[in-house]
Amino acid sequence: MPLDRRVLARKYFTHERLVKHQIDSFNRFLDEGLQRVIDEQGRIELDIPDTYVKLGKVEVGRPIVKEAEGSRLPLYPAMARLRNLTYAAPVYLQCQVIDGGKELDEEWVEIGMLPIMVKSKVCNLNDVDDVTKYGEDPLDPGGYFIINGSERALMTLEDLAPNKILLEREERYGEPIEVAKVFSQRSGYRALVVVERNRNNILEVTFPQLPKPVQFVVLMKALGVETDQEIVTMVSENPEIMKFMLENVEVAEVDTQEEAIEYLGRRVAPGQSKEYRIERANQVLDQYFLPHIGVEKEARRPKAFFLARMAEAVLELTLGMRREDDKDHYANKRLKLAGDLMEEIFRVAFLRLIKDVKYQLERAKVRGRQLKMSTAVRSDVLTDRIMHPMATGNWVGGRTGVSQLIDRHNYISVLSHLRRVISPLSRSQPHFEARDLHPTQWGRICPSETPEGPNCGLVKNFAQYAEVSVGCDEKEVQEILFGFGVEPVAR
Amino acid sequence: MIPKRVSSIKFEVLSPQEVRRMSVAKIITPETYDDDGFPIEGGLMDTRLGVIDPGLKCRTCGAKAGECPGHFGHIELAAPVIHVGYAKLIGKLLNATCRECGRILLKNEKRDKFIAEIEKSRELGQDFEDIVKEVFRVTKGIKKCPHCETEQMEVKFDKPTFFYENEHRLTPKDVRERLEKIPDDDLPAFGMDPKAVRPEWLVLTVLPVPPVTVRPSIILETGQRSEDDLTHKLVDIIRINQRFMENKEAGAPQLILEDLWELLQYHVTTYLDNEVSGIPPARHRSGRPLKTLAQRLKGKEGRFRGSLSGKRVNFSARTVISPDPNLSINEVGVPLVVAEELTVPIYVTDKNVEEAREYIMRTEHPKANYVIRPDGRRIRVMDSNREELAEKLEPGWIVERQLKDGDIVLFNRQPSLHRMSIMAHYVRVLPYKTFRLNPAVCPPYNADFDGDEMNLHVPQSLEAQAEAKILMTVQEQILSPRFGGPIIGGIHDHISGLYLLTRGEKNFTKEEVMSIIRPLNITKLPEPKYDDMWTGKQIFSMILPDITIEFKAEICQNCEECKGEECENDAYVVIRDGELITGTIDEKAVGAFKGIIIDEIMRKFGSEETRKFIDNMTQLAIRAIMNAGFSFGISDEDIPDDAKKQIRDLIKEAERKVDELIQAYREGNLEPMPGRTVEETLEMRIMQVLGRARDQAGKIASQFLGMDNPAVIMAVSGARGSMLNLTQMAACIGQQSVRGERIGRGYTYSNRTLPHFTPGDLGAEARGFVKSSYKDGLTPVEFFFHAVGGREGLVDTAVRTSQSGYLQRRLINALQDLKVDYDGTIREQTSNMLVQFRYGEDGVDPMKSFRGKAVDVKRIIREVMAEEGKEV
Repeated sequence: MPLDRRVLARKYFTHERLVKHQIDSFNRFLDEGLQRVIDEQGRIELDIPDTYVKLGKVEVGRPIVKEAEGSRLPLYPAMARLRNLTYAAPVYLQCQVIDGGKELDEEWVEIGMLPIMVKSKVCNLNDVDDVTKYGEDPLDPGGYFIINGSERALMTLEDLAPNKILLEREERYGEPIEVAKVFSQRSGYRALVVVERNRNNILEVTFPQLPKPVQFVVLMKALGVETDQEIVTMVSENPEIMKFMLENVEVAEVDTQEEAIEYLGRRVAPGQSKEYRIERANQVLDQYFLPHIGVEKEARRPKAFFLARMAEAVLELTLGMRREDDKDHYANKRLKLAGDLMEEIFRVAFLRLIKDVKYQLERAKVRGRQLKMSTAVRSDVLTDRIMHPMATGNWVGGRTGVSQLIDRHNYISVLSHLRRVISPLSRSQPHFEARDLHPTQWGRICPSETPEGPNCGLVKNFAQYAEVSVGCDEKEVQEILFGFGVEPVAR
Repeated sequence: MIPKRVSSIKFEVLSPQEVRRMSVAKIITPETYDDDGFPIEGGLMDTRLGVIDPGLKCRTCGAKAGECPGHFGHIELAAPVIHVGYAKLIGKLLNATCRECGRILLKNEKRDKFIAEIEKSRELGQDFEDIVKEVFRVTKGIKKCPHCETEQMEVKFDKPTFFYENEHRLTPKDVRERLEKIPDDDLPAFGMDPKAVRPEWLVLTVLPVPPVTVRPSIILETGQRSEDDLTHKLVDIIRINQRFMENKEAGAPQLILEDLWELLQYHVTTYLDNEVSGIPPARHRSGRPLKTLAQRLKGKEGRFRGSLSGKRVNFSARTVISPDPNLSINEVGVPLVVAEELTVPIYVTDKNVEEAREYIMRTEHPKANYVIRPDGRRIRVMDSNREELAEKLEPGWIVERQLKDGDIVLFNRQPSLHRMSIMAHYVRVLPYKTFRLNPAVCPPYNADFDGDEMNLHVPQSLEAQAEAKILMTVQEQILSPRFGGPIIGGIHDHISGLYLLTRGEKNFTKEEVMSIIRPLNITKLPEPKYDDMWTGKQIFSMILPDITIEFKAEICQNCEECKGEECENDAYVVIRDGELITGTIDEKAVGAFKGIIIDEIMRKFGSEETRKFIDNMTQLAIRAIMNAGFSFGISDEDIPDDAKKQIRDLIKEAERKVDELIQAYREGNLEPMPGRTVEETLEMRIMQVLGRARDQAGKIASQFLGMDNPAVIMAVSGARGSMLNLTQMAACIGQQSVRGERIGRGYTYSNRTLPHFTPGDLGAEARGFVKSSYKDGLTPVEFFFHAVGGREGLVDTAVRTSQSGYLQRRLINALQDLKVDYDGTIREQTSNMLVQFRYGEDGVDPMKSFRGKAVDVKRIIREVMAEEGKEV
């Protein structure tokens, strides 16, 4: 008997399922994202010796309303909508002040209010058997926020995959050249690293803080790969590619690592003292070059290997052993979901808070008061910084329209809106290729639903059965690979 | 009153004296209002500058708010500052003149040569900017002054307002001193008229303060005053100016003075233009950049594009449009509610005073809304004052009466891309709330009825009304100036209707004939062709004027040898003396854009007769199609199983051929076409094979559908749709393409479009060939490829509309002042500059041409022959 697919489909099309990506992503942010942002910071350093604040665990409460008379009552979405309130929960941070080397008592401080996604894991509706009692539509999918009484959904943003080598052909001064690009991303910071073959077959590298491209070989040497032989073999052992590499090695302007770093110093900090130049060169090399691999000195060798891979790719493209990467191929795309976006604004808001706490603590110290986190933290700082982007849609980095008032024209339009994917490409330029329906969108993006007009093909919607995978910890993958006998790069 | 005309406008730079002369008040204090909320004297809101608060009186002219136009004041700047708008010119002048003696860096003879050249160009009305540029170029290279032998140094201009000479900063004061030294005699060499501009005036020493009426403050609901951005900026300027003055008097150190000077420069710069690159824009407390003088003028919402080129008008209406075939093409149906609001002025004279009085006395639709007394007062006509006004009415008054049947109005649909986008219609006041128009006028407006809205304007002066009636009525626009053919004609059902009526020898009883021609004004029936039966051709002939014409119809199959009148398709139209002898009437005969009959009537009898023909034709066509009955549904796409099998076999065969081609290509046996690679050849051959297969499938389908199928009727007569559309519905949709190629993108890393195929598959199915028909439905893969192809179309339309709008704007801006003069030349309006000796270089008005050609030779021959009584 053939399978009755209707049963499956019906099972599948429950409302939880349709906005699962939104809710899962937000839950992930609550579980991991928040803590990650805190851990990146670790501690708040003050300009007083041996005095700092150790930051520990972070926890999120349940959505509450702070009444004017001071009482705190649990808040339900329907009430937030009716009373123009924000459906938000307090965020508590565990911290400990170390004052002049002396450890003070550990405290849990409320650092601000975090808007909570309706039907996420900390939503108050979870504990309710019959949501209708709380004025809620049982068919409402959730997956959106309530900011000052208006329902706002975070759009899923489509982005070029970070940390992935993308090959392209470009035209420079009328001649075709091959370039490899990587958007190296590390906790909110994005660095574009480009390796290109110039007209004389010399490879050149560009990355932030560098005013002009530097030779590939120079950079390799600066990263500590000093011998020409090692540089060449690191790129490839294919004799044709090695031919190119030999040319490169020959014209190199420096020999040793020391020379290379000095050379870089002259580029990044011209006209400064020698010590400063070298310090700056080292800093740029660690902080701005391929930051996703690491920002510490030990990461230089892995970076060299990665750079060699880029060089190999460029040369392989030159020799026709590889093809250009298709930027619109969905394998080269990553989606930024609600959780990722929340992490972005939370990071910025939290940095702001830290600045403020630092100022408050230093002032308290100067006035001879006791250092206490609960008095130093002004929770409005964080709350405002989170609320403002969510209320206006103006995200950090100047992106607009990230949070949108959800379309309640009808039930279907809500679902469609929560499943929308927006490409950050400019609406005013043609971008024909990006607007095309790409065969790799099969099963992921709906082939039919896209607006007509200037947004055509740039604003998309998930396919009915699409699911968003979230990626996993690099460590796990590494473990497995090492288990197969892959040799780790010596750090 | 003697009418005055502006003969010319000349722009000059305000001199400091001029600024002081026109100023009524010196502004000295940054405060605006005192504690009682009264403007402070010597402040920016000084009542001498005009008033905006009701109740106050202007101290200069004594007029009240709303009547006083405002008056300029001035600020004496404590130190000169550079005017950003002239900074570039100042830089050029500094480099072109001697740093010591101020003379131009040219010998007198050479200077005079340039001056003479500029003078000559100016007289000829030509641009002399290039010569001035040359002067600056030449002088910049000169290192030594030819007059006083001083060595010259280059002055570097650092945006936006700084000047350096050898790293040494020139203060605006230094700059001004140098500019002062330039003698009047040298100025013409820079294209400057010393009476209009002295170079030192480019450096401001006194700043004009615009009247308060230019920068009115608004009062918020809270009762708080909110000042205009300009006022804010002026306050900043005055404040710094005062500080500077105080410091100078107190003998403050040079460093502080310089800082303040720079600050003053910043404020004056941002006051003039707040979007200068190189300096941060001045901001409001909220962080919003201020909107200062330059920002008021610039851009889409600025004074030029927003307020002068794009004004809003009264006496206009806008609503949804809908069709009404019972209206003449010259008419427009206006909803009663609109007609009651819009008015036409009656200028009361001795002759029409009674008529005007009647309108005032009326209480229903065409009544008077307002009367305007000779002193300009508008009085609304109401029940309470109706009789009083009617009594007082006398010549010299104006009565604004409501729009009524027969009034002329302009009707417009955006985008107004050509002149037929605004045409004049006669009003028909109708019930309900939409504008109604005859569907035959849709093509010139490019309108349809899926929610389109249109605008209506009522010309107010008699001249405008006359002009609209004579030049702009729809009937005067039947021939398009674009290609010299009719742009108005039958559409959709008009064409299928006439096709059904006139095709072959259809017979109609008297009853049927009467029912069909009922809406037409026909008083006499011709002799019936058969006993008591009239043919469709006869019925159509009833509305035909006396024309003689022969042509091939749209349905013509383009047979190798045309049999003329004996055509078995009835595709050869012969009209003799207003009688349709043979042939079927279809798009070619009466359609918009094509309509040969319309064209002929227009040329022979003029617009009035043509209008009548189109009105009659559309009504006849509608009656004819209703008489015949016409519908189209999904079952009309049905084809028998036999046909389906044939199509399936055909496509299978084509796919086999494609596979063969691929096989040949793989084996290297494919012969490349000239100038193509093997891959390109393969693609082209495959496209060819599949294209042919689809066409053949379509042929099979249409064979089985037959000529009586409504879809086929619509397609062949040109009413709507094409045979391709039919093919796709009934037989096979065919190859989907993106930018002219088969779909090749996709899973590039495994070299296939979709995971459903094996890597490297080049076959028909894998590259977007859809073999199903719309009727049968598509497979998932086909559906997806169809969406891929469909997306391209969507993107294309979206991108094209925005681009064409911009192109249109640029074209109009470039050509707007050109005009055809009575002597046939093209000239620019104001300067009378000659652009073309003859319009279009052939002097042909395309509207009066024959489909773009100057002379219709065939027609002339025919006419001459007819005169001599010979057969052609």
